[in-house]
Amino acid sequence: MSEPAEAALTAAFRAEWPRLIAAGLRITGDLQTAEDLAQETLLAALDRWPLQGIPDRPGAWLMTVCRNRARNFVRDDSRAQQRIASLRPLLDRVPPEGREIPEIADDRLRLIAMCCHPVLADDAQVALTLRMVAGLTTEEIARGFNAPAAAIAQRIVRAKRTLREHRVAFATDEPDIRGRLASILDVIYLVFNEGYLPAESDSLTRGDLAFEGRQLACLLTSLVPGEPEPWALRALLSFQLSRWATRTGPDGGLLTLDVQDRGRWDRKLIADGIAALERARGGPRGPLLLQAELAACHATAPSFAATDWGAMVALYDELLAVQDTPVVALNRAVAVAMAAGPEAALPALDELARHPVLAGSHRVWAVRADVNRRAGRTAAALADYDRALELVKNQAERRYLARARQQAEESEKKG
Amino acid sequence: MTRFLLAGTRADGAGEVALGAAAHRVVEASTWYGWLRRWGLLLSFGLARDPAAEVRACLVVLASDERAAERLAEGWGTVSGYRVAVLTLTGEGAR
Repeated sequence: MSEPAEAALTAAFRAEWPRLIAAGLRITGDLQTAEDLAQETLLAALDRWPLQGIPDRPGAWLMTVCRNRARNFVRDDSRAQQRIASLRPLLDRVPPEGREIPEIADDRLRLIAMCCHPVLADDAQVALTLRMVAGLTTEEIARGFNAPAAAIAQRIVRAKRTLREHRVAFATDEPDIRGRLASILDVIYLVFNEGYLPAESDSLTRGDLAFEGRQLACLLTSLVPGEPEPWALRALLSFQLSRWATRTGPDGGLLTLDVQDRGRWDRKLIADGIAALERARGGPRGPLLLQAELAACHATAPSFAATDWGAMVALYDELLAVQDTPVVALNRAVAVAMAAGPEAALPALDELARHPVLAGSHRVWAVRADVNRRAGRTAAALADYDRALELVKNQAERRYLARARQQAEESEKKG
Repeated sequence: MTRFLLAGTRADGAGEVALGAAAHRVVEASTWYGWLRRWGLLLSFGLARDPAAEVRACLVVLASDERAAERLAEGWGTVSGYRVAVLTLTGEGAR
């Protein structure tokens, strides 16, 4: 078997993992047990498939094994005898081996909703979603978040305990999906952002998490296809990830949009983003849709010079109306500088540099440094670069800023 | 050539299995068994029915001597993650 076979198998395991957890949860009612059962099922596949051959329908095989073990677990648990009687109708519905097992899309959605339950803190929601829905190991999650594995394990254990203490039941609770959709989308976006531009890291990206985030967004669109916001998130993440291969140079340094090789942007992801954006446009023009529209402006522009900056300023105005944050205002200022020239953006940037939320972040100083440089105000640009370098934590961005400062200084000497 | 029984038990602390790593292991182990079959060295295999059984799988293989069987066991351990024990099969039909 070859690499494509391995990729297909990984995809199959990833797709089945949340279904196995959900099936185990439905029968045993306990998240920890469900996770153990899914893990044992995977180990059974590792024992058998290489010797016996991969089954015709791997998903059905895994589900049958997992359900059988769940039933055995419930039967073996003497304290649960009474529960067996109440579960009988459910157990009797399990189809016999070999028969088509219907997909219970709703179960995966319930699982996501459970992991994003409001009783859990944000970081616990993210860790639990990555473990239970995306199937990442504690070690993988810890690597993604640059945190010790023991700390992540604790976070997951505490989250499970909290759910148990609050008696969050999987099979009986009717999760308020629409009411919880906002926090589900938030969790997925957090997962993506953590992978796309980590705050503190030697490298610029932690790709696995970013791609997991998009996978989760795709899963959500397949589970609630009628809701526009998941489509907006999927579009946004697809556009962002389409530039993945070109965001860093061979030395690991940051490459900005104007110097990226657009020929290497992932056309499949851009096409997926455009299709998802079409679906999202049927809904309200919320922050996610507007951000996806903005990302589409970049993804569909034939060159940096040909980017429709005027349309982007208009979109940022619209976004500011629904999400008035200094970060959005900062991004708008960048678009203004491109559309109307650097001088037009400086008053807004001067104001933003004094904003308490932004003043402690390197971003506002990096942006103002660039705009000052383009406006020919090199001394002001150098001072801003120095401030940005004092604050930046990501090493790849630090190298980029140091290089930009050096270039500004050299052009000042020449001029 | 002598027949040997290789018995594979799960190594301690198997812990969580990464999905990508699991797929890699299936592919690698399948390839390894494929070669063993092609060379006529894999005579038969057995898998545990009981999910809690200590021994996960057994292989009956042909090898020229004990050292060759040990090498096969080492290879199997690498691709399967099992701890592998080697037993020489004696008696009628062992050779």
